[in-house]
Amino acid sequence: MARARDVPGLDCEESFSASAARVVEVRAAEVFEHSAGVLDMGEIERVHDMRVATRRLRAALEVFEPCFPPKRHRKALKRVKALADALGERRDRDVAIEFLEGFASEAPEGDQAAVAALIERLRDEQRRANGELAPYLASKRLKKLRRRLRKLAKAARL
Amino acid sequence: MKARRVEGLDPAAPLRSNAERIVRTRLEELHSFAPTALEPSASMAQHDMRIAAKRLRYLLEIAGPCFGPEAKAARDAAKRLQSVLGDIHDCDVMLPRVWGIESLRDLLRTRRELLFRQFSELWRDELEQGAWAALERALLSAGGPKGGAGVDF
Repeated sequence: MARARDVPGLDCEESFSASAARVVEVRAAEVFEHSAGVLDMGEIERVHDMRVATRRLRAALEVFEPCFPPKRHRKALKRVKALADALGERRDRDVAIEFLEGFASEAPEGDQAAVAALIERLRDEQRRANGELAPYLASKRLKKLRRRLRKLAKAARL
Repeated sequence: MKARRVEGLDPAAPLRSNAERIVRTRLEELHSFAPTALEPSASMAQHDMRIAAKRLRYLLEIAGPCFGPEAKAARDAAKRLQSVLGDIHDCDVMLPRVWGIESLRDLLRTRRELLFRQFSELWRDELEQGAWAALERALLSAGGPKGGAGVDF
């Protein structure tokens, strides 16, 4: 999992608002940097990295809430939460499948068919979750979110 | 779990003084779940404590540099807590789905017990080593190093 990036120029004596702008810009950039290849179900760490980046962005939006225009903040946070939820649905299945695949080889013979069936059900859910995640990662939608977050950061600086 | 509201934040005031208020609230929030979460079957409180640890961790990733090395140690402690509580939560989510697969249920129950013991020991160790108390002291003397990040976060 990627370590949170340092925020250049962050100064503890600078205003909370100016810090909000700096932090949201960096955390937003981290989300978009991790958006490539997320729908590839053979590379499950990509979903994880983008999910963590999205959580960090969400945390920043919550920490600095008083620094943003309320309506604009609410809308941005809602969209980031929706993205985080969609990533979470995929990630939960990835983790469960990985765990069960590890267990399957050690399972007693009597339980093996049931474990295989459970993995298959989870694979269906994983595909469905991936399908539901796809629209959030469409380039047009990501660009819109990026613009929204840029404007939000700019508003904190005013 | 909805985050506890932080009173008195001022967008025009420095990051340090605002962050101090938020860290204090998040630290209290984390501690408030401990008595219940330390009951083995209290999955809801353990889940809430995981969210509280996550909030504190991400907050300290942002504002930790304002409070010195104690904040870095507390951030790492919060991350460890979040991780073990996350693994417990994964067991709780998985258990109802494996009805009828006895070997898997046994494995998950055993794993959960083991993880719960790790969580209890971790919490006790962090208290004994004073990670949270040191952070509170750092908040009190938040006059600390002025300016940018003095600590490599």
